[in-house]
Amino acid sequence: MATEGDFGWEPEAWGLPGRGLAPREARAGQSLASVLNELPSAATLRYRGPGVLPWGSPEEEEEGGGRSSQALPGAAQMETQDPRPSRELPWPMQARRVHRNNQARAQGAYSSGSRVGHWARLLARGKDKTKEGLRSLQPWAWTVKRIGGQFGAGTESYFSLLRFLLLLNVLASVLAACMVLLPTWLEGAPPGPPGPSASSPCGSYSPHSPGLATFPSQLFNLLSGQGYLEWSPLFYGFYPARRHLAVTYLCSVFASGLICLLLILQRSVSGLKQTLLAEVGALTSYSHRVFSAWTFGLCGALHVQLRQRRILYELQVELEEAGVRHRAAVRTLGQQARVWLVRALLNLLVLALLCAAFYGVYWATGEAGQLQEEALVQQKPLLQLVVSYLPSIFISAVNAVLPPLFKLIGSLEGYTRSHQIVLILFRTVFLRLASLLVLLFSLWSQITCRGDAQAEACQGCGYNYRELPCWETRVGQEMYKLLLFDLLTSLAIALLVQFPRKILCGLCPGALGRWAGALEFEVADEVLGLIYAQTVVWVGSFFCPLLPLLNTAKFLLLFYLKKLTLFSTCSPAARTFRASMASFFFPLVLLLGLVLSAVPVLYSIFLIQPSKLCGPFRGQESIWAQIPESIETLPQTAQNFLFFLGTQAFAVPLLLISSILMAYTVALANSHGRLISELKRQIETEARNKVFLARAVALGSESGVRQNCRAPFGTCAFELLLKIRQIDPVASERAEGVIRQRA
Amino acid sequence: MGSKQTVFTREQLEEYQDCTFFTRKEIMRLFYRYQDLAPQLVPLDYTGCPAVKVPYELIGSMPELKVQPGPGDMENPFRQRIAHVFSEDGDGHMTLDNFLDMFSVMSEMAPRDLKAYYAFKIYDFNDDDYICAEDLQQTVTRLTRGELSAEEVSLVCEKVLDEADGDHDGRLSLEDFQNMILRAPDFLSTFHIRI
Repeated sequence: MATEGDFGWEPEAWGLPGRGLAPREARAGQSLASVLNELPSAATLRYRGPGVLPWGSPEEEEEGGGRSSQALPGAAQMETQDPRPSRELPWPMQARRVHRNNQARAQGAYSSGSRVGHWARLLARGKDKTKEGLRSLQPWAWTVKRIGGQFGAGTESYFSLLRFLLLLNVLASVLAACMVLLPTWLEGAPPGPPGPSASSPCGSYSPHSPGLATFPSQLFNLLSGQGYLEWSPLFYGFYPARRHLAVTYLCSVFASGLICLLLILQRSVSGLKQTLLAEVGALTSYSHRVFSAWTFGLCGALHVQLRQRRILYELQVELEEAGVRHRAAVRTLGQQARVWLVRALLNLLVLALLCAAFYGVYWATGEAGQLQEEALVQQKPLLQLVVSYLPSIFISAVNAVLPPLFKLIGSLEGYTRSHQIVLILFRTVFLRLASLLVLLFSLWSQITCRGDAQAEACQGCGYNYRELPCWETRVGQEMYKLLLFDLLTSLAIALLVQFPRKILCGLCPGALGRWAGALEFEVADEVLGLIYAQTVVWVGSFFCPLLPLLNTAKFLLLFYLKKLTLFSTCSPAARTFRASMASFFFPLVLLLGLVLSAVPVLYSIFLIQPSKLCGPFRGQESIWAQIPESIETLPQTAQNFLFFLGTQAFAVPLLLISSILMAYTVALANSHGRLISELKRQIETEARNKVFLARAVALGSESGVRQNCRAPFGTCAFELLLKIRQIDPVASERAEGVIRQRA
Repeated sequence: MGSKQTVFTREQLEEYQDCTFFTRKEIMRLFYRYQDLAPQLVPLDYTGCPAVKVPYELIGSMPELKVQPGPGDMENPFRQRIAHVFSEDGDGHMTLDNFLDMFSVMSEMAPRDLKAYYAFKIYDFNDDDYICAEDLQQTVTRLTRGELSAEEVSLVCEKVLDEADGDHDGRLSLEDFQNMILRAPDFLSTFHIRI
């Protein structure tokens, strides 16, 4: 008979989270491993279907075949009543076929007489087919998958976001066409532009300059939205002052905003579910990196090699971060103070850079309007073009120069890598969205004379009628120029920087060539550029109804351009971009962009007087004033209902109910979290109990208790206790108490 | 409905549709891929359920699992394990059923726990139903092409066991593995072969 030493059990392995060694197989009797293997849960997991040998069965048949076959019928019974569809069972194909036929027969017998069951099955199959049909409707599905396979999930998320934004823009342009363009022509052709002779107390407005236009000036008009484009369906000013058109114009803006909001919310909620399901990174980072790092779908030696390099890099980064955290924990007070001082200084530097950038944008927008009046500028169309594009040039320059600086500053701050990436992203997002807001603020101060309604230029009309006789068109023109300039810079960068760099790398041997050729697709920068472009369109779509249509064309062009650049010049990224972050963080920033773009639009609708010489709202007090007037033409009940919606009697209870619901949801989430940690603790305790009992059984069989012991319960129990006490005195006392009670 | 095909009976195709995550078209496409691997071995008529196995060397020549001879042996490090887990006798030779099985589990429609089950089998190098420390070391070494030093490898293995071993027996059982991997946000997208 084997002695305890053969089992290799170490006293400290029991009850402590130590690295317990897997016990060596006993020469006689059962070992801990074989006892654990016989547990019903293990047998169920190894069960592979009717008529198929379970996993690891050849060994079982030699030693304990009898016991395992006892466990099987229980498992078999459970599985045949399994309501899961056959395709989700981890069995070989033959076993699944049998299961499926059994299920079909059982269902047939059950519902042979019932038409309800038949219809239910047809409905389920119809739903499956519809879902599949909708999925196949998505354009470029194969391209996006291929990109994901070759360049990683981050790049795939960029292209899928681009496709989503394309859908949003298509919907917005369809809405604009139906609710703005159609009503305009339905009631007769709109009138032409007012001539220079027409005047009113608020100045005169003549968008067309008389006479023939030369080719350079035509080009200038096309690129800056002036001249013949200014009085065209492209801009707000063109639309005539008809009541129905005014109402549908306003409603189209709100409708497209609402649709965009709903679609973005739906997209971010599904991303949120995935992110919330994942554990906090610090607790499972190593196991996730080891087991879910390898992309099984990779093919091609180059990609395999790159992937391995990436995994290696990540593991090294992880180890390095652990070192950094360890060092941070043992810092003395003096070192801590120094680190925080450095961080404060760097944050001040970042703030200073941001303020300088915003002031530059503000100044450029203000100057552009004034410089245009100069005689020198008026003569040369090229100079005119540069001056009119001054704000766009400034914004693009700021967006190109500052993010690399942020990366540099971030590396000096002494945070771990993941913290750094988050900080850099936040700063870049703030930069992009805020620079747009600064441009709009600068425009606002021009339009409303810095909010001073009594200023000399704005008196009487509520807006700066001398410089900006049709201010909505001016805002629309700025957004139009931003859109065009963004497209031109993307084209320029692709053609003049990326392709030549790739060609250079081909010609230049050695290290210089390799550095020049290691182009990567910077997912974060590109995605933020997309979101910025979409925010510009959202702001501009009120002042320029055809802007979504232009943006659709621009995004289509961008898709093919980026795809071409990606496949011809870029190599897969060396660092991964967590796909879970992409599916949650980017829709959130998109939502932020939508909310921010609503601010200037709503402000203009409610608080700025519309131009008196152009647009569908001319002559009104404010743009919104059209709506209450139109409501008064509706039947009395509809009027009462709509007015009720605006009163406090409706808003306050709504607010109260929403707050109560929110508080309830938060409390529910908290209690679920507590329940989850409680259950986790229970699982650990149960696992320990299981191992304890298995060891006890193995001990019992090893000492031949079952074979030799026909004596009353006491003798066997005493021997068992002796064995347990050698391993764990505490546990043996508990067992002693139990045995004494029973004896 | 599609063109008439004579490879499978209608009954067989419906069975395949119910037992895998593929549509009729995808099953036919997979069959032709399988047939291309060994045109002499695989008959074009499966109505009689012929018992045909394509040997491992030909399976391994698929681009999704390929070996590239060259400097440093750049193969898919889990190629052999995948073939071993999904083949009928564990020797890497696959019938059409095994082939469809493999791609069905690796497709994007397969649910998490099914993938977790097979991922566990793939990472269990010594086939003892547990991922022990040696299995972990082999996994990490294969993932990094041996470029991590020995202490770093054992450090990583220790941390993995720290994080995932729920019952503290020094190795990962299927429950431990499933509990851990079901929370990995990228698992579904990495344990996925497109075909």
